[in-house]
Amino acid sequence: MSEELLVIIQIAGRRCALPALAVRSVIELAAIAPIPRAPAHITGIAALRSQALTVIDCRRALGLAAEEWPTDHRAVVVAQDGHAYALRVDGIEDITSAIGAPGQVPGGFGAEWSRAARGLIETQIGPALLLDPAVLIAGSELARSESEAAA
Amino acid sequence: MDDLLAEFIAETREMLAASSGEIVAWEADPSDRARLDAIFRFVHTVKGNCGFFDFPRLAALSHAAEDALADCRAGRREPDRALVSAVLAIIDRIAALVDAIEAGSVLPEEGEAELIAALGLDDEEEEGEEVAAPRIRDETPAPQADAGTGQPPATSKTHAHPPPGPPAQRTIRLPVELLDRVMSGISDMVLARNDLAHRLRQAGTQPTIDGPFERLTAILSDVRDAVTRMRMQRIETLLGALPRLVRDLSNELGKQVMIDVDGGDVELDREMIETIRDPLTHIIRNAIDHGIEAPAARRAAGKREIGLITITARQSGNTIAITIGDDGRGLDEARIAAKAEAMGLISAAERAQMRREKLLDLIFEPGFSTAASVSNISGRGVGLDVVRQNLEKVGGSIKVASEPGAGTRFTLQIPLTLSIIAGLTVETAGQRFAIPQSHVEEIVEASHSALAFTRMGETALVTFRGKRVVCLMLDALLGLARPAPEAEAARGATLVMLRLAGGMLFALAVDRIHGHGDLVVKPLAPAVMRCGLYAGSTLLDDGQPVLLLDIANIAAMHQLAIDKHSRLEIAAEEREASIARSGVQAMLFSDFAGRRMAVRLELVRRIETAPASAIDLSGPHPRAVIDGLILPLVGLPDEALTTPRLRLLRLTDGSAELLLAVREIEDARTLDGALNPVPDDPLAEAVTLVDGRPVTLIDGHTLFASHGAAPEIAARARCVLPDDDWARTILAPLVEAAGYAIVPPASADDKTVTIIFDEVYEVAEALGRPITGPVIRLRNQPEAPAGAPTIYRYDRAGLLAALAAARTPRPAGDRA
Repeated sequence: MSEELLVIIQIAGRRCALPALAVRSVIELAAIAPIPRAPAHITGIAALRSQALTVIDCRRALGLAAEEWPTDHRAVVVAQDGHAYALRVDGIEDITSAIGAPGQVPGGFGAEWSRAARGLIETQIGPALLLDPAVLIAGSELARSESEAAA
Repeated sequence: MDDLLAEFIAETREMLAASSGEIVAWEADPSDRARLDAIFRFVHTVKGNCGFFDFPRLAALSHAAEDALADCRAGRREPDRALVSAVLAIIDRIAALVDAIEAGSVLPEEGEAELIAALGLDDEEEEGEEVAAPRIRDETPAPQADAGTGQPPATSKTHAHPPPGPPAQRTIRLPVELLDRVMSGISDMVLARNDLAHRLRQAGTQPTIDGPFERLTAILSDVRDAVTRMRMQRIETLLGALPRLVRDLSNELGKQVMIDVDGGDVELDREMIETIRDPLTHIIRNAIDHGIEAPAARRAAGKREIGLITITARQSGNTIAITIGDDGRGLDEARIAAKAEAMGLISAAERAQMRREKLLDLIFEPGFSTAASVSNISGRGVGLDVVRQNLEKVGGSIKVASEPGAGTRFTLQIPLTLSIIAGLTVETAGQRFAIPQSHVEEIVEASHSALAFTRMGETALVTFRGKRVVCLMLDALLGLARPAPEAEAARGATLVMLRLAGGMLFALAVDRIHGHGDLVVKPLAPAVMRCGLYAGSTLLDDGQPVLLLDIANIAAMHQLAIDKHSRLEIAAEEREASIARSGVQAMLFSDFAGRRMAVRLELVRRIETAPASAIDLSGPHPRAVIDGLILPLVGLPDEALTTPRLRLLRLTDGSAELLLAVREIEDARTLDGALNPVPDDPLAEAVTLVDGRPVTLIDGHTLFASHGAAPEIAARARCVLPDDDWARTILAPLVEAAGYAIVPPASADDKTVTIIFDEVYEVAEALGRPITGPVIRLRNQPEAPAGAPTIYRYDRAGLLAALAAARTPRPAGDRA
């Protein structure tokens, strides 16, 4: 557990980590077809070879405005319940190993972040917020309730 | 060892499913040796397999059944109802035991001795079976020689040992997941190929690469077909279980029902078979429970006591049609209407205007069930609405037709596979979407003036074929924004007319059509599915992902599916339809004199465009060659033609055909105005008004009476004559007058008629050089020798008849 490999990413200017075991690959995103009337954090669908990927914008999934941060064209591919998702982030930094187990901070990380975070984790390159991909895929509660109200 | 056991269980199950149908068929016709053999093989195989394992009970059961069946096969006993029931019971027990073996549990042994005893086996030596045996034996004395089958004992004896079954195809079992991986691998390869093709096109022609690339493409499409086939299963696996179901249900309900299954060799995606299993069962239950009357009622109605359920499966293109028909009492229109009114589905006024078909469709409404009392056969809380929903989920549909007193027929349309569908790609606001082709009725350019686009409040309406239908804007529907002026300009450039499974029609306005083709549909993430707008995603040839629209759900979201609101639309539609029925469907055109004319639509077979060179003005009447047929041509202008091509309406009265030359074809319309007869023009049936302008309706009767002709084959039939002076000088003119061209023997093909003297023919035959094509054999003496199909060489009438017969076009493959 202490040697858990992590993929270090930047989301909305913060350093975050995803468990490397959950990450299938890192891809270059090509054409994304937007999905009209889909929840806000779902950017669209993209193709990975013959597979369809659902593209999730992690900034929006955490209830933040995506436009405020630049993004590169790479995305982290994770799978859940047989569906593949591409997580869009500001950037992908590194792969490193964790030191110790994730821990909590008094006062939490803020409502949205706390929901997605498993805790603060120390890594070889410094502290990062360990995120749960499933929560990112599910999206922001706030955004979801908004989209449901609109529908 | 575990593998072996799993194999045994799977094999036994498969055979169980297959043989239950055989048993019922055998019961219906005990003299059917083939069925008997099939069942015998099953129990024999089970018995044999038990030898590998230690299953004494299975072995005892199958052994007993085998003995009983062997007696039937040998003619020592006649199969009767008791025996069939006993064998069925044993087979059920075998199934239960196999289930128990798989689950690793133990089934109590009680009753197995009774099951075996019920077979009433003859061999008294076997211990413990004396109790039941004598009774059955008394009923079936079964003398050895004339046992029901009517076969002499000698023949029966040759079959005393199980005949080797038909050579089975070698099969292996594979996990479906592995197949799916191969499938997606192939899809990847197809995409890679498309990408490569794209690059090769950019690079220009390169013969050294293009050849192998073509080959790769061909191989790939072959492999793709084969892999698709892997997922396919004969629908027999589904239909095979039905006879048993029907037998058990009809016994339970005290009815007599026969089932006739046809089309078991149609292949369908494995998962699709699972999807339609429940709907099919449900409909059959309904048919037996509600459709087929009790024997006494059937007799009173003058029908056979035994009801008949027919099930057919047919493949046409990318869909399979399964029909389930019964010859029962039919659907009760009045009761359906009363129920629908009571449920508030329709009002009394609507009911008065509804046609029978529309009314019958109400049985697919949620919560609708015509049974006065819920029986434990049909009324299980699963209604036909669920059946329809389940079918629509996979892109299928269900229809019902019913004749009071004569029966009911359900037609299920289902796509061949879940994963590949024919689709149309459309574009709106710069984004592409796919629509399942099965919904697409027609594509209409909205600029067409006849559409009469109007806005009623927020709802847009168009008029399509005289019906007012709702028009949805795809861009607005999807919330795709675009600058207001552009939006209005681009709006509704193209309309896709979509037909829902319930028969409801609506229009979807898109910017343009992109293309169509087979789409490999991939599932969408649950969050996207929840939007309710999309059914899946697919990749276009260029690798771009595209969303597949869920048409049925979109319509439901806009209350376009069958509900109260749309029923009003239908009622309006029906009002128009009733006018339409009193009116005449006609093809409008203008002739070369510039007059607006119309011809009844039923007469129009096709619209043809012919080059001016196809027109032959040499004869007394103009003629034209279309598809190798010479047809009479009317309606030509008096002066010479100025255009290189000519638009023709190909008309037919069922047998004769003729061509009607027109200057311009307008549209198919309903003539709803009054038809005023025109007594002084024999060619005009009537004059009527269309859009306020007069149109002359052509009198089809006069037209065909004066010009119609059976189509004549354009290419003159060819004939080879004997090589002598008599043939050249005397026979040739007669043959030519009969419409043949004389050709030298060297250029004869299999359609060429050969006239030959009988002696020559016999020589040719003796030498093993038979003549291809039709042959007319001539003889020199007037009297016909017995048996030979020859014609006396001066029998003019006989010759002409033979020549005419030889020229009559026959279906392909029948020319030898």
